[in-house]
Amino acid sequence: MGRYIIRRLLQSIPVLLGATLLIFAIVFALPGDPIAALAGEKRADPNIVAILREQYHLNDPLLLQYWHYISGVLFRFDFGVTFAQVPVSQIMAGKFQVTLNLAVTALLIEAFIGVGLGLWAALRRGKATDTMILASTLLLISVPTLVSGFILQFILGVKLKQWTGLDIFPIAGISNGLRSYLLPGFVLAGVSIAYLTRLTRTSLAETLRADFIRTATAKGLSRRRVVGRHALRNALIPLITFLGADLGNLMGGAVITERIFNLPGIGLQLFDSVYLREQPVVVGIVTILVLIYILANLVVDVMYAVLDPRIRYE
Amino acid sequence: MRVTKGAQIVAGTALLALAVAACGGGASDNGGTAAGGGSAETPVRMELGEPQELLVPSNTTESEGSETLAALFEPLVNYDENKNAVEAAAESITSDDQKVWTIKLKSGYTWHNGEPLIAQNYVDAWNYAANQENAQSAGYFFGRVDGFADLNPGEGKPVTTKTMKGLEAVDDTTLKVTLTAPFSQFKVMLGYTAFYPLPKAAFGPDGKVTQAYGEQPIGQGMFKMDKPYKKGTDQTIDMTVYDKYPGTKPKNWTKLQFKLYTDSDVAFNDLQANNLDIHDSLSPAAISTAKSTLGERYQDQPDAGVGYIGVPLKYNPELNKVDVRKAISMAIDRKTIAETVFSGTRAPADDFINPAIAGYRQGACKACTYNPAEAKKLYEAAGGPKTLELGYNADGGHKEWMEAVANNLRSNLGIEAQAKPFEKFASILDELDAKTYKGLFRMGWAIDYPSAENYLSPIFSTGAIQTGSNYGGYSNKKFDDLIAQGDQAATVEEGLKFYQQADDILNEELPYIPVYFYRNNSGYSTSVKNVKINLLNQIEWADVEKA
Repeated sequence: MGRYIIRRLLQSIPVLLGATLLIFAIVFALPGDPIAALAGEKRADPNIVAILREQYHLNDPLLLQYWHYISGVLFRFDFGVTFAQVPVSQIMAGKFQVTLNLAVTALLIEAFIGVGLGLWAALRRGKATDTMILASTLLLISVPTLVSGFILQFILGVKLKQWTGLDIFPIAGISNGLRSYLLPGFVLAGVSIAYLTRLTRTSLAETLRADFIRTATAKGLSRRRVVGRHALRNALIPLITFLGADLGNLMGGAVITERIFNLPGIGLQLFDSVYLREQPVVVGIVTILVLIYILANLVVDVMYAVLDPRIRYE
Repeated sequence: MRVTKGAQIVAGTALLALAVAACGGGASDNGGTAAGGGSAETPVRMELGEPQELLVPSNTTESEGSETLAALFEPLVNYDENKNAVEAAAESITSDDQKVWTIKLKSGYTWHNGEPLIAQNYVDAWNYAANQENAQSAGYFFGRVDGFADLNPGEGKPVTTKTMKGLEAVDDTTLKVTLTAPFSQFKVMLGYTAFYPLPKAAFGPDGKVTQAYGEQPIGQGMFKMDKPYKKGTDQTIDMTVYDKYPGTKPKNWTKLQFKLYTDSDVAFNDLQANNLDIHDSLSPAAISTAKSTLGERYQDQPDAGVGYIGVPLKYNPELNKVDVRKAISMAIDRKTIAETVFSGTRAPADDFINPAIAGYRQGACKACTYNPAEAKKLYEAAGGPKTLELGYNADGGHKEWMEAVANNLRSNLGIEAQAKPFEKFASILDELDAKTYKGLFRMGWAIDYPSAENYLSPIFSTGAIQTGSNYGGYSNKKFDDLIAQGDQAATVEEGLKFYQQADDILNEELPYIPVYFYRNNSGYSTSVKNVKINLLNQIEWADVEKA
């Protein structure tokens, strides 16, 4: 097991290097001069542009620029600075924390609600409850985050406070601790809740028809034990795969939610930095996102072994 | 069912680590903000976008950073309700020949670290700003000071001196500034961010302004920063009234908090829920709600910005005919664009000088009146081009009104007019230079200092083709002469007469086509009253009261 994990981690090194070079090259290829664009709509002073281009090594060829960057990261653990001279590591530390909080909140919400609803639907297959749950997931899938975010913010943030004086769901920012993440977490989880509900329902329904369930029931086990201990455990495998992969999606794809709720996370930062062509920030964030995908996949693979003893990695 | 022990441990650890990582951050966020509002007093909360740079006056040319710095610094002059510059940190600003200026400082001002404010602080700050090696974005403001050229020898050339010869601290309270040529509006410029002084403590051992200073600037103004602002991480900038500030302080409050938003509409939601007190940049989408829900607390006032259709005169000879430009101008329905496309957040333009500034004359631009029939006749007579492209930068919300203008031109002039998006404004200029684009383009102007001269010389003078914002390449000898006469006039008011004559030439020749004047749309909560916004779009903090 240990050797397997170490091998997987070693394999990720070339993946990471390749990803950084690729992202670096893509940002490099974007049109326009990022320094000149800093002056907004006034023409930047050519002297100053020249000095700043020199300072950020923007006149060097691509590979040399990449070397400046990657050697700083590898040998000095220096992720570079933004165009405002703020260290990228400082920005990433703060922003990843926000997005991680948001993504984990969303993941917990979708796991509880999604799996819960899916179980309920699977056990009441074909009945009114089942139909109702399926219909409501359809609604969740079809309403875009942008719409649900603004509507929930307005109703639960603005109107609820105006009507009742209760300040339960903060509208914007992270100044209310973990409470700040409840509403954005739910909005972000929305679509995934729907998928997870459907996945759980199908997976469990299929497992419940399997031979070993009939055997378990035949040998006189209680319904609770049959479903909880035998069926659910087997049905969980595809769900774990989904949740593992979804953590990466939630972290990288939270731009809209972060904007609506004014959360200073990496989604927004990535958006701004691509726009400003701040290579060190873009590459830094994407590299860590790649790392998170790799680790999440590793955890998913290990979880398989936990859930299904037939799977062994050696 | 057996599970391998190893796998169980690994999986358990991973889940635990994730949960701890997430919770850990939550707790520390909580601690961080509790410190900001530590005292019993709730601050006055003001909406802000993220400043582009660290908070250094000489490197701040955008609105959000300027707004923050304005609370921390006292400028040499302020602007009163009659649009005139009045002394603030300066006792007097005088000149006999408009070339050598003597600035006497008021006594009583100290830096937030206790140092007294002296004339040398201005000399240090201005020399630092103008030196090309420091790459300060507001360096160009000092272009009129004698010795600016020595600090800016050009690309790749070393700077051999550290000071401008036109700057001199005669004694601790007297500053002498010599300009290369007379400039009657010099006093009006001095209220801008670039002219703030810097304390000794701002400079590091290498003579550069330190990173730490940019995070927590020490000013000499009404407010003092509570803690460093970590750009990119912090969502608030917290300040407290400075005890030893000699000017008028706010009546019944002492704490000010800037809250950073990425989306104006989200801030408006926060305002409605009373989580925010002042919002000075309401979006067109929020206007109708703001009018009905805020009532008296919604304000609408002129803002000094102007929006134009730029004409590339030097790139496109077809457009280098006055009648063609007049026809285009008369074919634009400014009123409908201002009221419908912008929901009233703009006003139709009828001069090159904005109504917020002294010198504006209503209806000065005759060809700015909507007259489609006359426009079509004139356009055909002058032989205007059959197709026109209207370039705009797609990153700034300009699509709708440029489409509307294109629509006007299509139906009123009977030509093929098409709005064309560019990535950024700089891309339009690049393509004009490269001669791959020669159509009309969108152009906006926000003033650097509130003088009529600022609407004319930086955009339309011959000198500004090289060094300024004269992107169309307009050049008119008579116009340049009138500007020079205005610059040499004995007083601000006398200068204005010449500038207005120069403005007449623009209104006649239309090098650009003015389309709208900006307006400032703001709102405030029930917890504050008497909110006033000055010419530079900054709140007059001393007037604000807690309700």
